[in-house]
Amino acid sequence: MASSSSNLISLKTSDGTVFKVERALAKTMKTVQAIIEEADANIYMIPIHNVFSHHMDMIIDYYKLSVAGKSKEFSVEKLDNDELKDFLLAVHYLNMEDLFEVLTQAVADRLEKKSVGYVRKYFGIENDFTPEEYAAIRKKNDWAFKGDDIEPEEDEEKQEE
Amino acid sequence: MMNSLGRRGMEEKYFPHDLIIIQILPRLPVKSLLRFKCVHKSYLYGFGYDQFRDDYLVVSVSNDMTINYGVNSQLEVFSLQDNTWREIEGNFPYFSNTWTDDSPRVGLLFGGDIHWLVAKMAPGEDSSDDVILTFDLMERKLLEMPYPDDFDFVLYDNCALWVFGEFFSLWVSDHVNCSVEIWVMKEYKVHSSWTKTLDFSIEGLSTWYFYPICSTKTGDIVGTDGENVLQKYNGQGQLIEHESYSEDPLDFLVTLYTESLLLLPVDNMQV
Repeated sequence: MASSSSNLISLKTSDGTVFKVERALAKTMKTVQAIIEEADANIYMIPIHNVFSHHMDMIIDYYKLSVAGKSKEFSVEKLDNDELKDFLLAVHYLNMEDLFEVLTQAVADRLEKKSVGYVRKYFGIENDFTPEEYAAIRKKNDWAFKGDDIEPEEDEEKQEE
Repeated sequence: MMNSLGRRGMEEKYFPHDLIIIQILPRLPVKSLLRFKCVHKSYLYGFGYDQFRDDYLVVSVSNDMTINYGVNSQLEVFSLQDNTWREIEGNFPYFSNTWTDDSPRVGLLFGGDIHWLVAKMAPGEDSSDDVILTFDLMERKLLEMPYPDDFDFVLYDNCALWVFGEFFSLWVSDHVNCSVEIWVMKEYKVHSSWTKTLDFSIEGLSTWYFYPICSTKTGDIVGTDGENVLQKYNGQGQLIEHESYSEDPLDFLVTLYTESLLLLPVDNMQV
């Protein structure tokens, strides 16, 4: 089935790869839509910052599955936590609602049992609490830190040694 | 889904806090959420003078990022006269959602108020709006001011409050177009008086960024490229001076030093 070139939009990823995607897929990217709408003439190539070709591959996979009514089959299991985070930031940049929901839930699922220390490192957040403040919050919600499936905090691991 | 601040073009891989607070944390079960209260204390602070009571105050607005029936920040004020912290009760659905990971937490003192750029939880709680938070030092109250009406959040990647000449002002940088805009409030607290007074290109030098720090009496703008170069632009947005202040980029923080003369009391004057 031949598609006329006006139905395809060219997107150029950060690593220089050009993807020709269907207009319908480009429409799911609100950021790209805004660029197309603001352009006076026909725009030939849209650069998408912070999005790499491996992100586009997954975006296209998700799109194909959605169109076939199989979006639930889309999986990010093979991505490690950092790759998942990067993918989420790319989709956040592109402003793609459905895929964004999928990925934020995936990140939440990955972080659920993690330690406070891990979450800080994951998001690049500094610990602004004084040791006293931390101890107070900890004490108040101590039960939340217990459980076989919960990753122990770094300071506890050291104490147990 | 998205808040109004685009914050796109983030090569620095800064992870936006509103994404964490609004989109990710709420998907976690209570047990995880209570644990993650310890992750981060988001706080803003400021220092100012209450001329009505002749008192110096330190103000702190803080929260721990987790949402329990809405983000409510704690407002605490330290009074030099009372020599104690007091919490001010109220509903403060604000959190520090910085433009970049080194946006200042310290508020800008202007017009008898302290100001910060924050995000405010929207009533539905699945999005946030950006507002200018203001603490009135005399009334000891938190108030809000909206951003200028024609503010195009999508274009900007960095923004900060400062004082331009005698005006309450915002500078914004557009990294993609390599330009900086200056907005001033011609009449303080009059929303309709927000005006974009300057829009200039910073493409001249090889630096990618420009952060205004202060303005001179003649209306020039002095700032830094965020690494090791000081730059001065004139009132027409032309670069008139630049100077490297360090061999090592990223090694320095630049701040404004104001000299003042203080009359010291004396018991008796000797001839």
